[in-house]
Amino acid sequence: MPVFQLNVNGRLHTVDVDGNMPLLWVLRDILGLKGTKFGCGVAQCGACTVHLDGHAARSCSVDVGVACLSRIKTIEGLSYDGNLHPCQKAWIDGGVPQCGFCQPGQIMTAAALLAEKPHPTDEEIDDAMRGNICRCGTYPRIRKAIHDAAGDPTS
Amino acid sequence: MSAIVKVTRRDFLRYAGVGSGALVLGCYITPSGALAENIFHKPLKLNNFVAMEPDGTIVITTHRPEMGQGIRSSLALVLADELGADWSRVRLRQADADGPRFAIGNPNDHGKPSYLIPEDVSQFADSSRSMALYFLPMRLLGAATRLVLTRSAAKLMRVDPEECEANQHKVVHKPTGKSLKYDLKLLLAASSVGVPQMPEITAALKKKEQWDYIGKDRARMPSADAQDMVTGKAVYGADQEVHHPGMLTAVIARCPVANGTVKSFDATAALAVPGVKYVTKVIPPDFPIPAGGVGAGFVPHAGVAVIAENTWAAMQGRRALKDKIEWDLSSPAAAANAKYDSDTFRHDLEKSTSEAGNPLRHTGDVDKVFDGVPTPVKASYYVPHLAQAPMEPPVAIALYENGSWEIWSSTQGPELTQRYVGVYMLEPNPAKWLAWQVADPAEQNNESERRAQKEFNEQLGTLLGMTQAQLVELAKDLKKKVREKIKVHMTLLGGGFGRKSKPDYAVEAAFLARQYPGVPIRVQWTREDDIKFSYFNAVSHQYLKAAVGDDGLPTALLHRSAFTSFFATIFPADGIGAVARDAFHNGGKYPYGSGIELAQGLEDNPFKVEHLRIENCPAESHIRVGWMRSVANIYHAFALCSFADEMAIAAKKDSKDYLLELLGKKDRGILDLGAESLTNFDNNGFPSFEAAGTPPVIAPYPVDVRRLRAVINEVATKSGWNERRGNLPKGHGLGIAAHRSFLSYMAVVIEVELNKDNELTINEMYGAIDCGFAVNPDRVHAQLEGGMLYGLSYALLGEITVKKGEVVQNNFDDYPVLRIHQVPKKIRTYIVNSDEKVPPTGVGEPPTPVVAPALANAIFAAGGPRINEIPFHRKVVVL
Repeated sequence: MPVFQLNVNGRLHTVDVDGNMPLLWVLRDILGLKGTKFGCGVAQCGACTVHLDGHAARSCSVDVGVACLSRIKTIEGLSYDGNLHPCQKAWIDGGVPQCGFCQPGQIMTAAALLAEKPHPTDEEIDDAMRGNICRCGTYPRIRKAIHDAAGDPTS
Repeated sequence: MSAIVKVTRRDFLRYAGVGSGALVLGCYITPSGALAENIFHKPLKLNNFVAMEPDGTIVITTHRPEMGQGIRSSLALVLADELGADWSRVRLRQADADGPRFAIGNPNDHGKPSYLIPEDVSQFADSSRSMALYFLPMRLLGAATRLVLTRSAAKLMRVDPEECEANQHKVVHKPTGKSLKYDLKLLLAASSVGVPQMPEITAALKKKEQWDYIGKDRARMPSADAQDMVTGKAVYGADQEVHHPGMLTAVIARCPVANGTVKSFDATAALAVPGVKYVTKVIPPDFPIPAGGVGAGFVPHAGVAVIAENTWAAMQGRRALKDKIEWDLSSPAAAANAKYDSDTFRHDLEKSTSEAGNPLRHTGDVDKVFDGVPTPVKASYYVPHLAQAPMEPPVAIALYENGSWEIWSSTQGPELTQRYVGVYMLEPNPAKWLAWQVADPAEQNNESERRAQKEFNEQLGTLLGMTQAQLVELAKDLKKKVREKIKVHMTLLGGGFGRKSKPDYAVEAAFLARQYPGVPIRVQWTREDDIKFSYFNAVSHQYLKAAVGDDGLPTALLHRSAFTSFFATIFPADGIGAVARDAFHNGGKYPYGSGIELAQGLEDNPFKVEHLRIENCPAESHIRVGWMRSVANIYHAFALCSFADEMAIAAKKDSKDYLLELLGKKDRGILDLGAESLTNFDNNGFPSFEAAGTPPVIAPYPVDVRRLRAVINEVATKSGWNERRGNLPKGHGLGIAAHRSFLSYMAVVIEVELNKDNELTINEMYGAIDCGFAVNPDRVHAQLEGGMLYGLSYALLGEITVKKGEVVQNNFDDYPVLRIHQVPKKIRTYIVNSDEKVPPTGVGEPPTPVVAPALANAIFAAGGPRINEIPFHRKVVVL
């Protein structure tokens, strides 16, 4: 099998896997980075969201052979130097998580949104976040937490 | 639900590990030096829920599954509060399946043997009852332990314990200000201070003003898991590492038709996939297939497992199996199921409700009233099968070694997992699986239960050729064997919603593990598996008819409900299974509903109507049926709360005013449900303490119409109903619905907008709940928000259809669920009448079933169609 070199959270990893293996399974089963979740396998739910060169991507639908061309960031690499990312902090302070399973994916999408649009409107949040499903229904708190992380007031 | 699990009389104190001869601080402190061995190495166990580490850190065992309701932190906070612990010095430890350890006996057991919390439900996170069951037991455990630590400290300080107070991890002597912190020193002295008795413990319960955490806001009641969840460290089913190396992952190709089996398969292509190690049938040939066939009870569907070094390889292997498996659909059950078509079946259900069914409640003479009314109000409602679709698809890991199984599972029912894995793996005679349910008839709650239990015992005895004494012995041995041989660990759940109440996926893992001793096998479900092989919520058709008097109120009301009962799946169709079905939970005869389902919004109809008849009509089942968040309330509340609105429209009255009028005069209180056969969901399912009673007594939970009225008034006030009705812009509408379920009272108001293109926008949603005392208000609000949105999701989008016995839908593309842009911009939630003297009741499920009818009523008020079937996207455009 081919060998791929992956840059994950600033560290280089060499993996020897089928080039069609989705990045999700490389992260979870080969590298043991289990914060990235499997929810649907077809880019419908967003639980597996990671950053490729800073952009949110569904790791279940990106082959490792493609992913290796980008810098990969997972939820494990989101907080820097022990400090929580503003989204992570807002998520905790806002009591967002219920079961918590979708939240790494939600946070990765939200973090990418804020990097691009530091002060998103409700509509921009909905547009960016509609690819991430939460069955517990934490959506209203997610909206608020994103505004909080942006330092914007909410009603 | 307790009827099947009563065993023997237990004493609360002993059972809760608080005393009765044993020292309060557990059996580890003995004069023989056991303490010395333990003290520096591991936490010292104080009772079944509390241990202390050498540095004084309190370790609280959290015994209920955590699936997003926040119960791990909430119950621990309750215990920590009464214990006088500093939350920052509390660590949580998740328990394994150990039902008997966490069962709670009745402290007020005056000669009548009874459990408050039986061993088979002590860890079963189902029916929205974790807090209802354990709020007071946790308080008592905490208070008892605090009492001992206080007396210990007083002894060491040589002061009067009555002058001491324990709080925030230390005991203070109030007159002098001297203090001792919580640590092992106190435990050393504890063995000589005596065992607090029940009256002392209840007297020591903190007053509301003394609570540090209970009832407080999020800052004081933080989640212990939130930080791990947002940093990716939280461990769910698929993330679990096990102590044994070499774990393999299995992905299973299951028979698409219920009760079918595997005739043959060709594994060549699958085995050629790199990383695939084995391809094998899930159900081994020596497994005794029960009367209902595979797929009955919690026996998994038949299938072929591809076992591989990683998940991707297993999934690829399963793809390679496509068209390489020949299914056997020749059994009568499978052959009938293979003809199941949900469109055709809808007509069958409709026909079923066109004729009289089993009468459940009958007062007056409905037929006579209808005879004199030329134009009664009539309506029908339809709810399709629904899949729970938790974000985390089911996962379980099993390891088989030396005749024992170790299971790791993302499960709502750890003890249920233990039980079913156990009986299926260890007991070759399926009739003996039912011995688990043998009990002493004398211990049952009422005459009909005693009669049913006696009949079940006798029939099982006859079937097995055993005397009653031998049966009791068999049951005891079976439980002992199962609890010895099957160890079940639970992970966090990535959502449950009822799907993970069923242990079928752990049974799959256990079957596979048995074939490969010493190899941990993880069964990973894909989303397609989850959608296609759920235990689907029942498909249902409801028929309602009312005669309306001069005042607009109904003089006669008929409600017929037909639904595919989950008892058809849980209990095999014939033989002793049918006897069990009949005996337990008022299960009745196939194809009728169980008492559990009938008590969810059907027979507990709260409307004041002189002539009332409620009937359950038959519905055969041809697919695996289970339950989803709020269960039978989904179709019953949809029908009844929509029909209330249809009657209001017919009477030309305001929907909210009319709803209140339907409940009768303002002082109408407790609903008289009459016959003992009406289960009211409380007498069986929710044994609990009445808070702050001295001594505690079992609280009754009657249907109290005043409480329903109060939540309606609250939500009407907060939504500005009276001011806004009649003044809304064109195309806007307000809808209301109210319903009692899981012993709580819930009302919701929704404001919608329907444009000229029939496109729906939901602008506002207001929900109010009376759930007794709201122990953790922030989590109650979170459940209100989430529960309502879960209801909104299936109302707009939810539908599972079946063709030729196979589920049509696959994934979130064809089984859509609510996304963030579909969420109302304004959501407000309210807690009504939260009083610490009122026992806490359900919160997870009650917010869900009221949304669909409130939304249907709002859409009609906005000038849209009367929507009487789910999903609504068939009638309005959902963007």
